[in-house]
Amino acid sequence: MSTKGTRIPDWLKVPFAGITPGPSQDKGQNLFPTGNWRSIRPVYRDKLPPCNNACGTNEKIQGYLDLVKRGKYLDAYALIKEDMPFPSVTGRVCYHPCEQACNRGKYDEAISIRAVERFLGDLGQSLKHDVVEAGPSNGKKVAVVGSGPAGHSAAYQLARIGYKVTILEKSSKAGGLNRGGIPDWVLPQHILDREIERLIELGIAIKTNCEVGKDVSWDDLKRDYDACVLAIGLTEPNGVRAEGEDKEGVLYGLPFLRDIGMGTSKVKLGPRVAVIGGGNTAIDCAREALRQGAIEVTMITVEANTDEMPCSPEDLHDMLEEGVDLWHGRALTAVLGAGKVETLQLHPARFSGAINASPITINRNVPAERFAVDNVIIAVGQRASIDWLPQEFKNERGTIKIDRFGRLGDTNFFAAGDIAQFGSGQPLMVVNAVGDGKRVAFNLDKALRGEPLQPRTVAVDVIMDLNRMNMTYFPHFPRAHQSMLSPVTRRKTQVEVIQGFSEKQASEEAGRCFSCGTCNACDNCYLVCPEPCIARPERSNGLYKILVDYCKGCRVCIEECPTGCLEGVPELDFDTGVVRMDTAFAISPGLHGRQAEELLNLASRPAKDI
Amino acid sequence: MATFEVERQILPILGSPNQGARFYNPELPSSEPFVPGHRTCAGCGPSIQYRMTSKAAGDNTILIGPTGCMYVANSSYLCTPYNVPWAHTQIGSAGSFTAGVAAAYEAMIRKGKWKGPFPNIICEAGDGSASDIGLASISGALYRNHDCLIICYDNEQYANTGIQASSRTPYGGMTTFSPPGPEVPEGKKLFPKDLARMMAAGHPHCYVATASVGYPIDLMNKVRKGLNHRGAAYLMIYTPCQKGFVYETPRSIDLGRMVVECGLYPIWEWNPERRVYDYSFRPQNMRPVSEYLKLQGRFGHLHAEHIATLQQFANDQWKMMGVELPDALIWAADPQNQMHMAAAAEAEEVADTI
Ligand SMILES: Cc1cc2nc3c(=O)[nH]c(=O)nc-3n(C[C@H](O)[C@H](O)[C@H](O)COP(=O)(O)OP(=O)(O)OC[C@H]3O[C@@H](n4cnc5c(N)ncnc54)[C@H](O)[C@@H]3O)c2cc1C
Ligand SMILES: Cc1ncc(C[n+]2csc(CCOP(=O)(O)OP(=O)(O)O)c2C)c(N)n1
Ligand code: SF4
Ligand code: SF4
Ligand code: SF4
Ligand code: SF4
Ligand SMILES: [Mg+2]
Repeated sequence: MSTKGTRIPDWLKVPFAGITPGPSQDKGQNLFPTGNWRSIRPVYRDKLPPCNNACGTNEKIQGYLDLVKRGKYLDAYALIKEDMPFPSVTGRVCYHPCEQACNRGKYDEAISIRAVERFLGDLGQSLKHDVVEAGPSNGKKVAVVGSGPAGHSAAYQLARIGYKVTILEKSSKAGGLNRGGIPDWVLPQHILDREIERLIELGIAIKTNCEVGKDVSWDDLKRDYDACVLAIGLTEPNGVRAEGEDKEGVLYGLPFLRDIGMGTSKVKLGPRVAVIGGGNTAIDCAREALRQGAIEVTMITVEANTDEMPCSPEDLHDMLEEGVDLWHGRALTAVLGAGKVETLQLHPARFSGAINASPITINRNVPAERFAVDNVIIAVGQRASIDWLPQEFKNERGTIKIDRFGRLGDTNFFAAGDIAQFGSGQPLMVVNAVGDGKRVAFNLDKALRGEPLQPRTVAVDVIMDLNRMNMTYFPHFPRAHQSMLSPVTRRKTQVEVIQGFSEKQASEEAGRCFSCGTCNACDNCYLVCPEPCIARPERSNGLYKILVDYCKGCRVCIEECPTGCLEGVPELDFDTGVVRMDTAFAISPGLHGRQAEELLNLASRPAKDI
Repeated sequence: MATFEVERQILPILGSPNQGARFYNPELPSSEPFVPGHRTCAGCGPSIQYRMTSKAAGDNTILIGPTGCMYVANSSYLCTPYNVPWAHTQIGSAGSFTAGVAAAYEAMIRKGKWKGPFPNIICEAGDGSASDIGLASISGALYRNHDCLIICYDNEQYANTGIQASSRTPYGGMTTFSPPGPEVPEGKKLFPKDLARMMAAGHPHCYVATASVGYPIDLMNKVRKGLNHRGAAYLMIYTPCQKGFVYETPRSIDLGRMVVECGLYPIWEWNPERRVYDYSFRPQNMRPVSEYLKLQGRFGHLHAEHIATLQQFANDQWKMMGVELPDALIWAADPQNQMHMAAAAEAEEVADTI
């Protein structure tokens, strides 16, 4: 038996009980709409977490971390797949701009987002059927030129919309730099193979050994397809314009790695190898050289110190651990030797401008250094190969001329990935190519349907700032670390260097996420409201509601929301035309009026009725 | 005497909101015995406490409200926010009224007139009622061990009549009865009555605990422990009052944390079975009292020496809890050092504005 609804004797009911309504769970004490006290109103507004914003393809990171926290791995995988076709790949190779932006990094240590992504990607790899499906066919055909990350992503999204997609790839194997660039010990080929199988499962046709400009012409593309995405990357290595660069034993970074990746390499390295360059490709070359049998590897950079090197600090650290020597402030000015490289001539050098794309100033007034080597690998950037492209679509950077939607003039041709992002200020990396491929795919679809296009760079609304969140709810907690092969073992093998998270590690790490700016249904606002006037039919983001009839605007809920998704809006600023005093007693209309009327009528009612 | 059976409600203890690194409140009870529409001030600490307490207790509950804000501001015009039976009682009779309700249910059950579980009987007395005017009646109810929970919602003053000092008002607290001036620069000279400890020492068979709105789950669990306890239980709960403490309303919960973190409001439990205090509760941080004081207008008049005196008081509380004091807090108990701290804080602020 509940004590609820205790019976009130009749004589106690008059005169008030008949007039003043009793409180109820859903209506509250509705004689007093205390909302009219308020001058600031709390509103729920999810804001963009900095991680989502920084991710090149705007993965819903906060969203999938929240699902992982709750053990819903498959849902998390499905969510990631909206924006990212191959989390198993980016979970290994991505330079994780998300982690650099992670708010938790300003508090203790950033969330190990990439490792969780990899955990989900590997889960996806183990599924018999993938969670995504091709969209209902719209009867239109699209060619995607290039099977690197940008092409992969564009083809994936287009197939999901319902296009019949054909990928044209000039190499013998699909994958672009994922295969012929990023080494095996970072991204094992069987992982990439599985992701390419997934594309075929979506009904995408992949034609390898099919080069546009040679096997297929511009006009063929125009004629045979409704639209086309050019995701051809930067396939040609840059030289350093040093004397004797054509001698035997001089290698270029990109082809060196590409041939190894494609399984066509015939290179035999000598014991002493120098690598010229200070970027990620140079680091990969140096580490690969060790694995290809070199004994002493020396990296030579123009940059004056490690901080200036345009590379991932983690990869640099791992390279140094493997025993690669690092020299700074020197430029290769000549390759010496009889027919074959024997000695390198080096001069002191520096970049003349602030960024390392600026021209190099070489000091030739001091005597040159000589450095004896058996091979030198030059890894100082790549450029495009677009001789086949109509002149009108070429730009001064040697890449494709596109508008801000990624479109070539008013054609149905679009470009995405490195070829579109080179020189645009966007760092060239897999995830940026994936994001570009995705956005361009959506624009292609819009163009064919005659809808307005969206700029490739998306304008963001509000990015959640750590200072607006309540940190008292987050005790310091160390980041989970991925285990790694020891430097001595790994420097001689193609085995993957970094290991994945266990399920426990993944969920623990996801648990560290603050859920910046996005309600994660922690129930805190609901619990601390003094009225209480926060209701939720169910405990889930988006279902929390402020009962504005009652909220007095104390803002305790705003202050105590750990994630910062509640904010205060000055009530007078409402654009709905609501004037404060108008709402004062009109919030639950009639109650006061009715009461006043009944009180007035009391006198005229016979005493026995009262 | 014939034996009779009393069906009891056993309320489960809620889990911690911190699951590993993750903050996520446990599943909360769905019932809302305390509904909106009451006329307490925006951000009222006692109301927050009321909400949490009643939610923890559930629908089969009877509430008793001695005079004070939680009666007056809540229940004018015969219209209350209580969705369960509630009754007002005179401010001095908090304990006797509550004892009467409990005894009545005992009798009704004995006589077979009440079928169903024994209700949760909760008295929500302000500190004025609990530490001064109603102290005797509450002590009586506790001593006679009626099956009820008596809560002192401690806003450290008589709030409803316009902020007068009670015996729970802290040293240095400004109220209309303890105004600071040239003669008495600190405002209130006396330290607060050690009320909860008095109750534990005087009624050792009762469950006694302190809590704060800054720690909702701990608070709700203590309510449930008190209700599950057979016999009388007593809770003293820190509930800031923005009117009397003079602070920005959003800080209500924050103050509830800060007061514990600075050592002015030790959180503990008295275990009636083993007759020992449990001092194991530890806030996440420890901080100097000045950080808590500076958020409140009622302490705005304090001089360095008064703050140091309060710091010394807090340090003694930490020691009582068995917490080792960091040097910074020992240092802060010296008035001279308080001056340095104030100067440093000011310098920082100036630096911020430049
Ligand atoms: C050595 C190296 C290591 C890297 N490591 C990382 C890393 O660890 N993490 C990271 O995020 N980024 C890394 N990057 C950068 C990243 O690989 C690129 O930004 C990304 O691959 C660009 O993708 P894309 O699809 O635009 O181009 P690509 O991956 O270059 O793909 C272009 C594809 O188009 C094909 N193609 C070109 N021309 C034609 C044609 N005419 N007809 C048909 N096919 C054609 C090419 O064969 C190629 O397969 C690395 C780059 C290099 C060079
Ligand atoms: C015997 C008696 N003395 C004085 C009062 C006046 N009075 C009404 S409310 C109140 C304040 C009660 O203070 P407290 O119990 O701390 O509750 P709060 O208002 O702070 O919530 C007082 C003194 C009264 N009602 N009865
Ligand atoms: S804490 Fe979570 S939501 Fe916030 S930036 Fe980091 S990963 Fe994103
Ligand atoms: S805590 Fe409640 S009353 Fe205060 S602002 Fe939030 S919803 Fe309004
Ligand atoms: S306090 Fe928790 S439940 Fe409320 S809005 Fe913030 S994240 Fe969501
Ligand atoms: S005066 Fe204080 S205790 Fe009373 S209703 Fe206002 S805030 Fe609450
Ligand atoms: Mg009081």
